Amino acid sequence: MNEQFRYTSRDWFAKATAGLILGFGLAIALTGLFAWIGPGGLMHSSAKTQLNMWLISPIWAFILSSCFLFRSGWRAWGWLGLANIIAFGLLFAAKAALA
Amino acid sequence: MRSDIVKMYKDVHSWVGIIAGLALFIAFYAGSITMFEEPLKRWASPPSELAPAVSLAETPRLIEATLAAHPDAKSGYTIHIETGPEKPARMSWTAWPEGRRRGAPTETYSSGFAADGSVEVVKGETTEVAEFIDVLHQQVGLPFDHEISMPIMGVISLLYAIAIFSGVIALWPSLVKDLFALRLGKNLKRMWLDVHNVLGLFSLPFHVIMALTAIVFAFHDYFYGLQNIVSYDGKIRDMFEANEPLHHVEVDPNTPFLSPADLIERMKTNAPGFELIELAYTFNRDGTAELLARGVDEGYGHRGPTFGLAMLNPYTGEVMSAEYLPGRQNGWGATVTGFFALHFGNFGGAAVRWGYFFLGLAGAFLFYTGNLLWIETRRKKSRQGAEVTQSRSSHVLGALTVGVSLGCIAGISLTVASAKILPGLVENPAAWHSGVYYSVFVASVVWAFIRGAARGSVELLIFAAVATGLIPIVSIASLVIPGLGWNHGGAGAIVDLTAALGAGLMLFLAHKTSLRIKSAPIDSIWHAAGASIEAPQVAPGVTTESAHG
Repeated sequence: MNEQFRYTSRDWFAKATAGLILGFGLAIALTGLFAWIGPGGLMHSSAKTQLNMWLISPIWAFILSSCFLFRSGWRAWGWLGLANIIAFGLLFAAKAALA
Repeated sequence: MRSDIVKMYKDVHSWVGIIAGLALFIAFYAGSITMFEEPLKRWASPPSELAPAVSLAETPRLIEATLAAHPDAKSGYTIHIETGPEKPARMSWTAWPEGRRRGAPTETYSSGFAADGSVEVVKGETTEVAEFIDVLHQQVGLPFDHEISMPIMGVISLLYAIAIFSGVIALWPSLVKDLFALRLGKNLKRMWLDVHNVLGLFSLPFHVIMALTAIVFAFHDYFYGLQNIVSYDGKIRDMFEANEPLHHVEVDPNTPFLSPADLIERMKTNAPGFELIELAYTFNRDGTAELLARGVDEGYGHRGPTFGLAMLNPYTGEVMSAEYLPGRQNGWGATVTGFFALHFGNFGGAAVRWGYFFLGLAGAFLFYTGNLLWIETRRKKSRQGAEVTQSRSSHVLGALTVGVSLGCIAGISLTVASAKILPGLVENPAAWHSGVYYSVFVASVVWAFIRGAARGSVELLIFAAVATGLIPIVSIASLVIPGLGWNHGGAGAIVDLTAALGAGLMLFLAHKTSLRIKSAPIDSIWHAAGASIEAPQVAPGVTTESAHG
């Protein structure tokens, strides 16, 4: 069955909305993790706090661009949703542990 | 790469491209012009009503006299180290007639000494046209309030990012084969595709930078706001404050600040290479003062569009905060400044600015060719000269592409040319600059729809050439006709020269296009019948160029 799967642009709306919404969520969670447990920690410098914000853009843009590589809209929402749950879980765990 | 993935991304590429392309054309063309922000300001600044700028040695006396006569300058003023036609006064300050808050209207005042030694003050900025083009660039040509335009610009930037990613994948399988091939010939689609690919691939890093930075510029406040809630528990302000180096001093009324001339001397050892542009003093209500120095060090990138920043001690000239001082930032700060510098092209003096000017024009042309490809790809072929009617969307997109891009070029040129005439005629040049641009822009789009893409492109190219040619013509006329305009010489002449070359190029293109539309295949939207023969209307709302006489 897998051999016969062919990508088309038909499912674009479900994939793109997953990339747009969940990609943004993932960017927020990952940059939060970078802020807390990345090099230098939370209070390293104002420049690091700024960089944390800047990093949203490449992460979000990459997920939004590559989300069409999911085989369907359902899979895009499923995998990116799961990634969001894990990333936010880790972020809140890191905050609880380090705060 | 699998062919189905390539096909899927080709679809994605053509649709995001077609939605974002024209807005990006405006952003890139106007952005290219902003590379001339400083020469343009000089070119467009009316001769000052003030006497020549007070010398640096006399500046402490000017500050004292100005503050005595205008107490509203006591909350903060700027001393301009560099002066010129665009910044004629040594001292200026900002007043907030409706109270000090973000977005509230401001008034700028400048002061100097009159011939009799008294303090003279003029109100107003010297030039508005450079600012207008910068805002046009930031808002991808949208005429709305900043708060409305910026999120729309952000959506365009996200589509742009998708277009870059999908474009690379679409090109991937034929990368080696197509890269160095530029097949200029009869096959129009092949030619535009080759041009589009070469332009896109060779300026790929430039486009990646522009897309990623534009997303941040659009959503900056939302990003910080959400991170503040989710990651920082509402404490982002405290975090910034805690990390801020001390950068204010207690004001001692009995000790004078270092004079600007002495400060410049101290800075030669405190921050060598940092050429000061201006010194901005702020006096806080709690009796403290801050000194923000703006300047340039061409060996490094800069945080502002044309300047870097340093916080200085106004008593000693010591650098209190080097967080935004070119060449003195830590790795994190230099990285963030790098994003700004790569967007603004402010890291290598005039050479890099010229490079960015041409990269920006190439970017605008990339989006233009993208739209042409969309039309060519969907073109219905005529067999044995039989009549075909191209789809309505091809006609609409053809007219829109021609009208928007040439209307943007003509509108910017005409609003620049008017900068030397408007101050003598109208009260509010800023509003007129906007009015001139948008009326030319809208009229050009309407014209392209009335005349069709083929004829419209020739006529609008001639119009854009004339509008651009008016820039040096106004300057020449100012030499000849007393009371009209002015010429400051120096860097402003770049504006006249570049505009003259641009106008010549557009006339040449108009000539080539006029030949092409006569020889274009009859099934092309670029085909126009001989101008004297009126062809019948082929469909409602669609113009005549696909029919033929």
